[in-house]
Amino acid sequence: MEFLLENILNLIGFLVGLAIGIMALIGFRNTGSPTLFRLTIAFFSISLGFFVIWAGYMTEDFVIKSGTIERWIQTLGIAIQTIGYFFIAFSHSIKSFFPKSSYFRSVGILPLFLVSSVQLEHIFRSVSFILLAYGAIETMLSYLDNKNKGAISVSIGLSLLALGEFLGWYSFVFPESILYPISMVIKIGGLIALLIPVSKVPLTRIKFDADLE
Amino acid sequence: MAEYRTHMKIIGDILATTRDDLQDEDGATVTYLIRKANISHSRISRILKTLVSQGLLEQLDYQGSNKYKISQTGREFLQAYYTFTNFADNFGLSI
Repeated sequence: MEFLLENILNLIGFLVGLAIGIMALIGFRNTGSPTLFRLTIAFFSISLGFFVIWAGYMTEDFVIKSGTIERWIQTLGIAIQTIGYFFIAFSHSIKSFFPKSSYFRSVGILPLFLVSSVQLEHIFRSVSFILLAYGAIETMLSYLDNKNKGAISVSIGLSLLALGEFLGWYSFVFPESILYPISMVIKIGGLIALLIPVSKVPLTRIKFDADLE
Repeated sequence: MAEYRTHMKIIGDILATTRDDLQDEDGATVTYLIRKANISHSRISRILKTLVSQGLLEQLDYQGSNKYKISQTGREFLQAYYTFTNFADNFGLSI
């Protein structure tokens, strides 16, 4: 059951991220907007992150057959997704994510080499949660400004992804409980909520760049 | 409170003015664009130069003064601009 849900989640995540990423890329190629460029990086990263985990599960199931996915693959996939969530949050004007001091900047990454991959996964999940929660709040605030109904759906989607990340992280405390499958179902719901308003953007009337046709 | 406009939005406003607000086919004067797009002369001069060089606006010589008219490429850009403004709005962002 958990394996099936994990596969569905990662496949949907890969496809949704890819679809939104391609749409943002088309927008960037047609308008040159830096915001659309950041969204392109964000959703391609999210898509790649889900793909890495999905490929890890497929490899384990059909090739290695050890019964559990390699921990580092899961950690790598979550880390790539976190980069994507960072760019969504960054688009909402996070100006100084890293410390300004060059000394701290140079050693800031050091703790990542001093902890195990399980601890890294905890760190990435908690960072993802914070970035997603920030993105959800900012998107909801923008709805209050421009009353664009699509922003509600995106805000709910980011909120559900944040909740899913939180429950996924919390399930480490209760490893065999139903928390992890619930977190995956919530994240699938979040991804679908993200896609709904984007799928309504009328791309058919646009004359695309020759390279993208 | 005055709304902050991104560079992209100002370009969108200028192109929309040249497409929608003109009564004749002669194009818009700089003064008309300054009034409609609500932007300073020095800034609009730089933007108009860029838009003409990119082929989004056509510059016409009319009785010794310049007038600006939207080109077909400009119309397509404006359509893409509106579509992806809507796309970015869904994420609570401005392009």
